Amino acid sequence: MNDNLAKMREAAKRALESGDVGYVIGWGATKFPDKTSPLFMRKPEDAERLVWNEYAIPGIAKYLLDDLYPDKPIGVFVRGCDSRAINRMMKDNRIKRENLRLLGIPCDGKDDERCTICRNRNPLVYDELLWDEAPTPEPKDRYFRANAVEAMSADGRYAYWSEVFDQCIRCYACRNICPACNCKECYVDMTATGFQGKQHSRSDNLIFGVTRAFHVGDRCIECGECERVCPMGLPIMGQTQKILKDINELVGDYESGVDAESENYLGVFDLDDKDEFM
Amino acid sequence: MSKIGVFVCHCGTNIANTVDVERAVASARELPGVAFASEYKYMCSEPGQQMIKDAIEEYGLDRVVIASCSPRMHETTFRKMLKDTKVNPYMLEIANIREQCSWVHTDKAKATEKAIRLIRMSVAKAARDEPLFASSIPIEKRALVIGGGIAGIQAALDIADAGHEVALLEREPSIGGKMAMLDKTFPTLDCSACISTPKMVDAGAHPNIKLLTSCEVVKTEGYIGNFQVTIRRNARYVNHDICTGCGLCETKCPVKTDSEFNHGLSKRPAIYKLFPQAVPSKPVIDKNSCLKLTKGKCGVCEKVCPLGCIDYADEDREFTETFGAIVFATGYELIDWTALYGEYGGGRYPDMLTGLQFERLVNASGPTEGHIVRPSDGKEPKTVAIVKCVGSRDPKKGKSYCSRACCMYAAKHAHQILDKLPGTRVFIFYIDVRTPGKGYEEFYDQTRKDGAIYVRGRISKIYKDGDKLVCNGEDTLLGKQVKVMADMVVLETAMTPSSGIEELATMFGVARDVNDWIQEAHPKLRPVETQVGGVFLAGTCQGPRDIPDTVAHASAAAAKVVSLLNKSEMETSPMISVVRREHCCGCGACEKICPYTAITLEEIDDRVGAKRVKRPIASVNSGLCQGCGACTAACRTGAIDLLGFRNAQILEEVDALCL
Amino acid sequence: MSVKETNDPKIIAFCCNWCTYTGADLAGLNRSHYPENVHIVRVPCSGRVNPQFILRAFRNGCDGVMVCGCHPGDCHYSTGNYFTRRRFTLMKRLLEYNGIDPGRFHARWISGSEAGKFRDTAEEVTAMVRKLGPNTRYREYARREMSADE
Repeated sequence: MNDNLAKMREAAKRALESGDVGYVIGWGATKFPDKTSPLFMRKPEDAERLVWNEYAIPGIAKYLLDDLYPDKPIGVFVRGCDSRAINRMMKDNRIKRENLRLLGIPCDGKDDERCTICRNRNPLVYDELLWDEAPTPEPKDRYFRANAVEAMSADGRYAYWSEVFDQCIRCYACRNICPACNCKECYVDMTATGFQGKQHSRSDNLIFGVTRAFHVGDRCIECGECERVCPMGLPIMGQTQKILKDINELVGDYESGVDAESENYLGVFDLDDKDEFM
Repeated sequence: MSKIGVFVCHCGTNIANTVDVERAVASARELPGVAFASEYKYMCSEPGQQMIKDAIEEYGLDRVVIASCSPRMHETTFRKMLKDTKVNPYMLEIANIREQCSWVHTDKAKATEKAIRLIRMSVAKAARDEPLFASSIPIEKRALVIGGGIAGIQAALDIADAGHEVALLEREPSIGGKMAMLDKTFPTLDCSACISTPKMVDAGAHPNIKLLTSCEVVKTEGYIGNFQVTIRRNARYVNHDICTGCGLCETKCPVKTDSEFNHGLSKRPAIYKLFPQAVPSKPVIDKNSCLKLTKGKCGVCEKVCPLGCIDYADEDREFTETFGAIVFATGYELIDWTALYGEYGGGRYPDMLTGLQFERLVNASGPTEGHIVRPSDGKEPKTVAIVKCVGSRDPKKGKSYCSRACCMYAAKHAHQILDKLPGTRVFIFYIDVRTPGKGYEEFYDQTRKDGAIYVRGRISKIYKDGDKLVCNGEDTLLGKQVKVMADMVVLETAMTPSSGIEELATMFGVARDVNDWIQEAHPKLRPVETQVGGVFLAGTCQGPRDIPDTVAHASAAAAKVVSLLNKSEMETSPMISVVRREHCCGCGACEKICPYTAITLEEIDDRVGAKRVKRPIASVNSGLCQGCGACTAACRTGAIDLLGFRNAQILEEVDALCL
Repeated sequence: MSVKETNDPKIIAFCCNWCTYTGADLAGLNRSHYPENVHIVRVPCSGRVNPQFILRAFRNGCDGVMVCGCHPGDCHYSTGNYFTRRRFTLMKRLLEYNGIDPGRFHARWISGSEAGKFRDTAEEVTAMVRKLGPNTRYREYARREMSADE
């Protein structure tokens, strides 16, 4: 770990010293020993504040959306999940590859439930790789939440989601962190269209839950950041996992963000798609 | 607040018998935004329409809801009516209370309730109607016909005769296509060249027709009325502006290479005309076989040309022209049977000919001046086997479809052999004999009377034994194996779409069917149109057919083109997609889904803080958009919306039903 | 908002203009009777139907929702319904996963000539929804009224 941290600090320092990048995004310490926060390093000496430990969990790629037109490329440390987030946003035309300087850091897995379903610890897109890749361990059940909910009865499922979304405070933190939620304006903020009721009621919360899932749906990169940032600790990956599970069942192996070219499931069709309608 | 007028129609008793019209009117009066509501026996009638116009005037109505029959029936009628009023024709909603209410329900109370709900929905939607204006796009009064076969020539002549300019594009150095290769045409046996070459000359000399030979389409942009087509003229190495077509160069050229026109049955020089009657009647140099162009030595043609037309430095040249309409007349090719039918020798035996090779062989201007002789040794055949459906009706090896013309030209080939070489034995192997056409069955009958022997069954194997071609097969009517020791075999092979059709269709956004034939807009009712506005079909690019059908098809396409080009401008439906720029993030989801390539991502200038930036947003081409709205459902933000069926309008309808 | 009339199911059908809407018109022409509960919203193409419309319908009090379009391969706009098929296959499964009874949401392909199929579908869906009773799920009304379903 220390070796790797040294390499990361060195890489960040080098990049900032060369003047090739405007700043580098990584992880920094917080006053809580078991939490890290995103760190924006602007000067070479900032690299000393970089942290890389088992708590360097947060996804940092989404911050790229806050600076879409940088004067200089932005340096970002990318693990597998960050690289998929970047592919996602590139596919959605939101960020440009030439604005990025990607420092690849194969991840060793963190102590987090969401990391147990990780399918790509190694970055899938990068400019340089700071250390050797290691194989990703066999992921646990990719659809662990969805499978649990599917096992319930219809009434049980409704009761389950009602209980979940009754607690939702509609802070939209899940949206803000999600790399697939990268629209310029979010539908929930567009009252004129009237797609989303603004009341804090069960129905509007449930509808928000379903709609968020459907909007992310085929583009979800399965990073689980939505759950990490949820202040109410709601298991909302259960919704997106269901959609991915169905897509995988319908058309075979489907994974979003593994590259920046593959078409989204809902953006194309096949004449022989399964027809469940009569 | 909007001022909506609601007009409920009795439709005689069609509606009034099941729906309490007075109640419906009374309840409409209570709806928000409704300034006036009334009823009439026949809204669509002259007095009915007048009543609406008067009410618009008297009550200052700004939008109208008509509860009547299906909008599919009278929407256009009422829109037309509104043109004479202050109300925009698109500020109209129709509540379908006849087909979808009074005619399908019997309980008057319940039907009335439903009619009230339907009216409520329409009123809610109407409240969100906005004035829309049909825009008109100017039409470039020129047509581009792609393909210079008989279909293209016919279409071009018809369009040109109607007074419009036509560019007739052909990738070969001469127009004429497949028909120019044929000897005689069934069932009348008139000489193909005698009837097609005058048409070629007409096309070449027509003041409204510009020939673009040796040309290919490279790129296309735009839409109906305004296609910008980029065309590449392949280098000819001969200056056609001064060439008189004297032909001296052809006689002196030392190169001998296979003649495409004669399907390899004869040789031609490197500087050549496709065939003697070529239009334009001027040679080109084949850069792949010319010694000067491949090896740098020779230059004989340049030396002998009395006018100095030869230009070895000639290059491919691209140019862009605008056309109002496009006609696909790209024709067909014969399937490459050699790759598919190894059991027939796979092309190893020179005395096995395709139908088109036989046409050249039997043609008076062909390689043997019309003498039917074996290419291998020049002897007249005593026994000829004609095999039909090679590649057609054979889903395992070739195509599943019937190529339509083969039955008849097989009969014609048999007739010609029996005519020119009396006493020859001609066997025709067939699956079925299909002769739907004027005089076709009679011709087939005559051929049998002439002595052609029809054997029902496919040939399973053809191999060489001495100088004979042994054809093994089965006579399925007798249930017996048959073996024909033939001197010559003619394979009547399947028609397939011309090479390059995929690229061309993709360029224009035209659909192809499973066999790559161009898909017509409707198989019954729109057989010469494609689903892309302004792109029409002529001849075999749409599917196999014979000459009379091709010519009829081409003339039909020309009629469609003429009726389009006769207009100086075309009105487009204003019910198309619109993008709210400030909300669009340029993700391109809509672009992918649009079936008409009407949406493109466009870079716009924007500001982020103090920074001027360029960012992509979706942009709708109003000439291409057909108003399907598929893009709107793909847009998560709702930044793209469909005029006339806006998200907000549909939601209003939903809400009004739920009220 | 009148909650009282919910005994009689309210069914909304988003029908494409070219096939199903025409098929429904033909049902009228044939005088094929079906329940008054089915209300058609005309859309140009089934591909125009945003899943949000369905959620909105349930929220505001529809007991059943139908999305109908041309048969695959017959779309007036050539490809619209292929996207509809993908989109609503996922949506239908997601709704069921969220506890909405599959009887409440139907996607059907009904051509312009299938008046009989339209009538049968209308009858079948109405019967199904009637059996299920008023929809309370995703329904927006005061919280206390929801207790019945909990």
